[in-house]
Amino acid sequence: MLGLCGRRLLAVAATRGLPAASVRWESSSSRAVIAPSTLAGKRPSEPTLRWQEDPEPEDENLYEKNPDSHGYDKDPAVDVWNMRVVFFFGFSIVLVLGSTFVAYLPDYRMQEWARREAERLVKYREAHGLPLMESNCFDPSKIQLPEDED
Amino acid sequence: MLKYIIPTMMLMPLTWLSKNSMIWINTTLHSLLISLTSLLLLNQFGDNSLNFSLTFFSDSLSTPLLILTMWLLPLMLMASQHHLSKENLARKKLFISMLILLQLFLIMTFTATELIFFYIMFEATLVPTLIIITRWGNQTERLNAGLYFLFYTLAGSLPLLVALIYIQNTMGSLNFLILQYWVQPMPNSWSNTFMWLACMMAFMVKMPLYGLHLWLPKAHVEAPIAGSMVLAAILLKLGGYGMMRITLLLNPITDFMAYPFIMLSLWGMIMTSSICLRQTDLKSLIAYSSVSHMALVIVAILIQTPWSYMGATALMIAHGLTSSMLFCLANSNYERVHSRTMILARGLQTLLPLMAAWWLLASLTNLALPPSINLIGELFVVMSTFSWSNITIILMGLNMVITALYSLYMLITTQRGKHTHHINNISPSFTRENALMSLHMLPLLLLSLNPKIILGPLY
Repeated sequence: MLGLCGRRLLAVAATRGLPAASVRWESSSSRAVIAPSTLAGKRPSEPTLRWQEDPEPEDENLYEKNPDSHGYDKDPAVDVWNMRVVFFFGFSIVLVLGSTFVAYLPDYRMQEWARREAERLVKYREAHGLPLMESNCFDPSKIQLPEDED
Repeated sequence: MLKYIIPTMMLMPLTWLSKNSMIWINTTLHSLLISLTSLLLLNQFGDNSLNFSLTFFSDSLSTPLLILTMWLLPLMLMASQHHLSKENLARKKLFISMLILLQLFLIMTFTATELIFFYIMFEATLVPTLIIITRWGNQTERLNAGLYFLFYTLAGSLPLLVALIYIQNTMGSLNFLILQYWVQPMPNSWSNTFMWLACMMAFMVKMPLYGLHLWLPKAHVEAPIAGSMVLAAILLKLGGYGMMRITLLLNPITDFMAYPFIMLSLWGMIMTSSICLRQTDLKSLIAYSSVSHMALVIVAILIQTPWSYMGATALMIAHGLTSSMLFCLANSNYERVHSRTMILARGLQTLLPLMAAWWLLASLTNLALPPSINLIGELFVVMSTFSWSNITIILMGLNMVITALYSLYMLITTQRGKHTHHINNISPSFTRENALMSLHMLPLLLLSLNPKIILGPLY
């Protein structure tokens, strides 16, 4: 909060050109002097060199015209609506309802059914004295092999 | 399937007929709703796939990839909004149409039953991607990048067309659901060796395999953000998906045919991870990181064990989300500094602390931190390759160390340290960017709570 106010004040000071010091002050312990600048109130001249750290002229800082920009659009109304659409449909609908849907998927890929069926079959086979599992997948008597070729 | 294809097709008239101020809102909104409906595909059976019609089916392998594809479109739209803001209206709509067309082709690729239909859609995805890279990329190198991208993939996939037509003539059908029950063991002969190579090379180029990966750094770096996102997240996985489908027809010669490619991938993943340590270009680092992760997926698919398939599928989804997020983060840097050089915009943690939190999460998932799904995928692959051959654990372990090294190198260079004086003027993070990162990260974190949906058909 304080940072925001401080930033706005500095911005105002920079644009309005308020002098940093309004009275002359001399230090008693050293020879430091703070004096109002003779250039106070005059706008600084346009820089003759362009430095790399200056923002590109074609770069548009969306925060300049709209300090509350969400980054979607220059027009504040469209910007706010876009933000609302993304948050509502993206988070509240897809992520929330979607994860609820995924969390409550019934027996994905029949894993729970497979466990129940296995336990049921084991119980049946143990009760009837049958082996729990046959090593042959298919009944060998039903397999018809091709004739041996000499 | 029409419940996904028709709404996606209708996104096109939506872009062209919307009011000027509403194009992004409308498309983002409706693509988010389409991604919600994609979750219906998760109603998978244990013994069969969801067979929608004679043309479309989806099983546990294509479902997570489809959900990822449909989730990525709104994210791509959000990521592109800023760099397209200066373009005129027709170009914006054209860009969005290219993204929608790509989405449409990708949906049809992942659900295709008939392998020739799969091939046609596989090739068709090249066209919108090429247009996005060459038309909206930022540097002059984008033309070369588009050329490499197009011709590498085309050269690899032409033999695949010949092989598919041959299979159609010999087996009688290319319908994948029938083919998986009709397939005969492929005897060892010279012609079958070439047949194996013909089937696999297209997907090897797409993954990409280490020796054929030259197109990837170029294409990923020169593409605009939406292009990089879709390339890294989905188009690479087309190769993995295709390989997992086509290997059904190629047994048992895969046992020995796969050796050179497994060696190339094992070596390649270390090589590309090491190259990442020497990169100055941020996007190039992320691109090589993609090659490294996909090399793991190639190894997993070629050794063909149940655990390796589960690891491959999990890795594909995890890498899709992580890589896309890293590209979005790199783009947020690029939009401020207009340079991809990492050291140019460093010390960002003091200037953009929330974005630094997203950088941290993305880097942590990139280096496969537990309990993320990245780790689940990598761990399954490491375990299955260890069981295939004990020595691979040395290479896998070395790869995980180097992956951690370059992920942390990227994080520390961009976020930590003293920031340079020439980036004092960067604007704070937009809500759009933070929303974009969280929309990448939240599904990733939620999946670590319920990874069974991304573990593929052998779960």
